[in-house]
Amino acid sequence: MKKILLACSAGMSTSLLVSKMEAVANERGLDAKIWAVAQDKAPEDMKEADVLLIGPQMRFMKKKFEKTGQELGVPVDVIDSVSYGRIDGSAVLDHAIKLIEKN
Amino acid sequence: MNKFMNMLENVLLPVADKLNNNRYLTALRNGFMVALPIIIFGSIFVVLANLPFLDKLIGEDAYQAYQQALSPASQATLTIMGLFVITGIGYKMVEQRGGEAIYGAAVSIAAFLVLTPQVLGDTANVIPTSILGAEGMFLGIFTAFIAAELYQLFVSKNLTIKMPQGVPSAVSRSFSALIPISLTLAIFLAVRILFGFTDYDTVQNFIYTIIQAPLTSLGSGLPATIIAVLLIQVFWFFGLHGQIIINSIFDPIWYALNEQNLEAFQAGADVLPNIVTKQFIDTFIVGIGGSGMTLAVLLAIFIVAKSRQLKDLGKLGIGSGIFNVNEPVIFGMPIIMNPLVIIPWLLAPVVVAIVTYTLMSIGFVPRPAGVIVPWTTPALLSGYLATGNKIMGTVMQLINMGIVFVIWLPFLKVIDKQYYEAEQKAN
Repeated sequence: MKKILLACSAGMSTSLLVSKMEAVANERGLDAKIWAVAQDKAPEDMKEADVLLIGPQMRFMKKKFEKTGQELGVPVDVIDSVSYGRIDGSAVLDHAIKLIEKN
Repeated sequence: MNKFMNMLENVLLPVADKLNNNRYLTALRNGFMVALPIIIFGSIFVVLANLPFLDKLIGEDAYQAYQQALSPASQATLTIMGLFVITGIGYKMVEQRGGEAIYGAAVSIAAFLVLTPQVLGDTANVIPTSILGAEGMFLGIFTAFIAAELYQLFVSKNLTIKMPQGVPSAVSRSFSALIPISLTLAIFLAVRILFGFTDYDTVQNFIYTIIQAPLTSLGSGLPATIIAVLLIQVFWFFGLHGQIIINSIFDPIWYALNEQNLEAFQAGADVLPNIVTKQFIDTFIVGIGGSGMTLAVLLAIFIVAKSRQLKDLGKLGIGSGIFNVNEPVIFGMPIIMNPLVIIPWLLAPVVVAIVTYTLMSIGFVPRPAGVIVPWTTPALLSGYLATGNKIMGTVMQLINMGIVFVIWLPFLKVIDKQYYEAEQKAN
């Protein structure tokens, strides 16, 4: 199962993306757990995740999360802002899977 | 233009990075988040206790009894919110460092109480609630920072009592905190005693006079507010979360101002002391669809847009926009780095801030009552609640939506035309 964690300031706008990504994962028959949290919860939840993607508006937190990510072996990246604006579940899911597989 | 924008982003990104990853500001922001559910609980009951027309409906006496019955809900939460903020900050400070966070919370509360004069007038053995609320907000924040740091320092110096093997870990943990906590609190006691010899008498008084009063009076003014609003917009223009960056600096001021209004509101004052408060920003400037008040922009899109792209954006953005989540608009229009929107994006919130401030200062619209309305509360309702159940709060939000609509309209038409022509060419 692929465990994909998204984070933004309050976990609100990323949760919009979660429902879109879940729908795409279902269509593809992909076994995935996708959830969104507020930035302060992210380091804790990373322990249970295969990858962390953060909203582009929080990209200034990437360095901080990368540090935790390295300790836990969890890749961290920023969601592409065009995909974010379109709430493009498919593109972000691809992005997440690529990161997990590369890891 | 592009070069200039890249240059600006190169300046802003490190600033956002610094502000947001600063240990103290992070603890402050996350500490407030700990207090928030408690504050909102209290706010709900302030709203319920001040329902309109209820006094006419059930009679003056019954209404007073009703208000009395509900008052503990806000008195125990919103009124003494400083206590919960301290708890949160102390906890988060120690948690960041990987220490035992609960001791960080405990030592911060204790340190704050050590500094607190436990008399009120001639009555001894009381803790004045005002000190746990607005007045003590800044001292509480500093105390939590310092107490948690001292605690961590003493823990890291290994000044702990080592327990022999076989002692249950919970037991040895409770002792391991003993020395660091004792030393920390002893320092705070010394500080309190020393202040007793000064003209300020208490640390509360000192921090309030030297730091809190000047900062809040600065923060309650229109210039500082415009600067804060502009900074939020500029950060967002570069796709960086403006509020989370600016709020970590302004929140202590805005919340303290908010508490002053709450005290006055609950005391039944006719005119509340402050215009700019936490809710002034959250309800009347940000809380109309999110930063930049994009709900009005979405309305404009529904009315005038011909291009596929903007029409789709409207459909995509409206659902979350009602609840003040507007990343789809910001990244989808896009607003970020888009030279066509920079003027309305920066101008509209400033004009709205000035108009709201003016209308509140002349009394046309009631000032925020000090209740904390969750930021996801839809516009129009939030204005009503934030002003203490006053319909004029809703009217103010409508006026603000009108302002944003008018400022955006010409620019939106240009953007729409561009998109529309590009779409026609592509077909």
